[in-house]
Amino acid sequence: MSRLARPVSIVLAVLLVLLSAAACSKKSDDNKPSDSSTTPSTTQNGNNASNSGTGTETEGGADGEWKPQSDLSKKVKFSYASVQAIEGYDYTKGDPLAQYYSEKFNYEMDVAALNWDNWNERMRIWINSGDMPDVAVYNYIHADAAAFVEQGLIKRLPDDWKQRWPNLAAVYERTTLGPQMEKVFGGTYFLPRARFMDNLPGDPLPNHPSVFIRKDWAEAVGFPVKSAYTVSEIMEFARLVKDKDPGNVGDKLIPIAENTNHAVDLFVARNSTYWNSFYKDKDGQYKWGGASEDTLRGLKLFSEAYRSGLLAQDFYTVKNEEHGAYFNVQGIAGATFFQAPTSNLQPYYNDFKNNLGIDPYENIILATVLGEDGNYHQVDLINYWGTIIFSPDIKDEVFERYMDILDYNATREGYIITNMGLKDVDWTYDDSGNIVSLYDEEKEGKPLAGTTGKYPSWGYLLGSIILFDDFAFDNPNTDERLRELSKKVYRERTEIATPETFTAIDWDYYTYDSPSKRRAEIDYYTEYANLITQSGDIEENWRKWVDSKMPLIQPVLDELNEKFGG
Amino acid sequence: MDNNALIRRIIRSKETYMLLLPGVIWFVIFAYIPMYGLTLAFKTYKANLGIFGSPWVGFEKFEYVFRDPAFMESVWRTIWINLGRIVFTFPVPIILALLLNELRMRRFKRTVQTIFTFPHFLSWIIVASVLINFLDMQGMVNGIIRMFGGDPVNFLGNTTIFRPLLYITDNWKNAGWTMIIYLAAISGIDTEQYESAQLDGATRLQTMWYITLPGIMNTIVVMLILATGYIMTAGFDQIFNISNAATAKAGEILDIYIYRITFQSAADFSFSTAVSLFRSIVNFALLLLADRICKMLGSEGLFPPIRKAARARAKGAA
Repeated sequence: MSRLARPVSIVLAVLLVLLSAAACSKKSDDNKPSDSSTTPSTTQNGNNASNSGTGTETEGGADGEWKPQSDLSKKVKFSYASVQAIEGYDYTKGDPLAQYYSEKFNYEMDVAALNWDNWNERMRIWINSGDMPDVAVYNYIHADAAAFVEQGLIKRLPDDWKQRWPNLAAVYERTTLGPQMEKVFGGTYFLPRARFMDNLPGDPLPNHPSVFIRKDWAEAVGFPVKSAYTVSEIMEFARLVKDKDPGNVGDKLIPIAENTNHAVDLFVARNSTYWNSFYKDKDGQYKWGGASEDTLRGLKLFSEAYRSGLLAQDFYTVKNEEHGAYFNVQGIAGATFFQAPTSNLQPYYNDFKNNLGIDPYENIILATVLGEDGNYHQVDLINYWGTIIFSPDIKDEVFERYMDILDYNATREGYIITNMGLKDVDWTYDDSGNIVSLYDEEKEGKPLAGTTGKYPSWGYLLGSIILFDDFAFDNPNTDERLRELSKKVYRERTEIATPETFTAIDWDYYTYDSPSKRRAEIDYYTEYANLITQSGDIEENWRKWVDSKMPLIQPVLDELNEKFGG
Repeated sequence: MDNNALIRRIIRSKETYMLLLPGVIWFVIFAYIPMYGLTLAFKTYKANLGIFGSPWVGFEKFEYVFRDPAFMESVWRTIWINLGRIVFTFPVPIILALLLNELRMRRFKRTVQTIFTFPHFLSWIIVASVLINFLDMQGMVNGIIRMFGGDPVNFLGNTTIFRPLLYITDNWKNAGWTMIIYLAAISGIDTEQYESAQLDGATRLQTMWYITLPGIMNTIVVMLILATGYIMTAGFDQIFNISNAATAKAGEILDIYIYRITFQSAADFSFSTAVSLFRSIVNFALLLLADRICKMLGSEGLFPPIRKAARARAKGAA
């Protein structure tokens, strides 16, 4: 035994050393980042929320005239990261639409699926560590973006890109953000994805989240049916629903169903234009929105709704966007402030009908939420959602191929495919040249998009540079009543507002970057939700909170006033 | 011992030292070499210049750290939560080990031990998901409360319940695992002592109190010193997964604060390194302090003198 012990221990030790060395030196075969995901659904995030978009006639016109800038006969392989992707899905050949694109553009695509909770964080880590995928959809945050550009962490597009990809350039000009950032950075680093091309519903651009109210319940409790409500009116409806329970829901009734972010959006953001930012006041001096009386007004309503049981007592534990389903799937909510891009309304209404068995067009009120002053409050959304960025190490052939995909999708042909599916399969032109849908969702038993749809790969992942909302106004797959309703809701928001409550972007502030400003980034959603769940007087708690933040806020105010105040 | 003697001894026992090598390599690569990254606390990190090339800024980052009131709040919160852990979770595995040691039926003992140990292998994400399903307003516990006519309790959003919840879940998940260390220490106690005590008519409680507990006292002290050394590290995974917007303040420990300033706002790796460095220095100081106090109280501490240990070994061999 003792004779064996020595050689065995030597072999064991050598093996362990080799294993350690191998573990330390092993580099992943590819740069595929680990990923996680959620199923695609509409939702929003932080300061540039939503999905949407469409486009129209662009240079290049029909597919036949469109010319690629790369050699499509040569196959390329690239990695791609996007929020709302489906974990593990084959985005190269998983469905006919994915196959159509991958064959047309001769590529193989590895997709890292991100979710709303890890999107910003993962991108920061990947970009800062030099491990970003070849192409990624980045939630533009100026402080980070400036640092990435300054340090060369993302690719600068060649100076002649607008000449080479003119359809893409036309979309880029419509986004506002793109040209503005080009001025700031002295070149193009970000390709914002346009929400709207031809059907821009307003400038400043309103956001889409709206309140969904049970019309049948409203009528049962004698609540008026309107197209816009103040926050306190919605609370009044909730009170009536709580007291009378017109749907006989019982213990499970939630008068207003929200998650943390949407609750803050409903109560605070709808009352306070600058609830999460700094602003230049009438006296020419910069102020902090967190300390404004409007914000306090919203917080008081928020607190009252929480304390009186109009909101679920544990609304902050709702993950992702599940609160929307309390309204249209479970039927236990009287109202919900939720995503309402035009493109998302049809599935939302369909789910309502399929799950509750009642006509959504007769039983849902889709309305705008106003502040207590009767005005719509918001800062210009900016006509983009998510920007496309490239790794500084991306191969030229891959970069050019992806730009080709984007440019193609900015043509009329590509744009329709990204919104309607495959030509002559899912849609076609009639004799007058109008688009006609060939897809019957009821007959097929599934929607076109989504994890359970005909094309799970459909959406933001095939290089959409124009998002869904613009086309959704004309999309024959969406019921005309919904399209008209959506247009009306967007239009009204620009009408029921003043330039002070629905404001244009202050580009001085937006593009200002400093260490103090970076450190003053606050997770307002969590902070406000935390404030209203605390015991004690909300106003007193808010004042303490404002005081506690001032060491971080005051340096930013001093800098802004010194630089831009007057 | 002169250097030559030491080298001779190493050569003589080279196989043993070879077994040590992978561990040493691991420590060098993953613990010592990355320490150069601590210089970031005194630099402004530029990813394109790397850690070495980033410009020095002295103590600027620390000035920012101490200007942020949330930082000191998170420091005190971390200390309080961890002191609570020492009171409410540290003794639990010791008690479990003592009780389990008294079980006579081996099969039952093993089953109980397995049941206690199993939760350790669940991640905090799983534990938090289970907890939320049990305790939320529509969860099982509130369902039972409603069934008996009571009003539901908001367990997950109550800041008063938050800390006890941390200790309870920590005990549920980890006490069984930590108990193994104490069971191992108990198994090293000379059985003759138990036989003598039995002959002298000692009760089981007396045996436990006068033989078992003193027998594992050195292990308890070492574990206590190590726990003290982690007083500024209060379990990121657990709190991150269990807390929510309502308990965000109650749960903002230093680790969460570092996470927040690093990943949830514009990334400033130098700033978070400065906070991490502060935390590590305090942890290290507390570790040494606890070790010194234990030695002053007569315990061997973390590093018993070699001569004493050698004597103990020699005595054991005899």
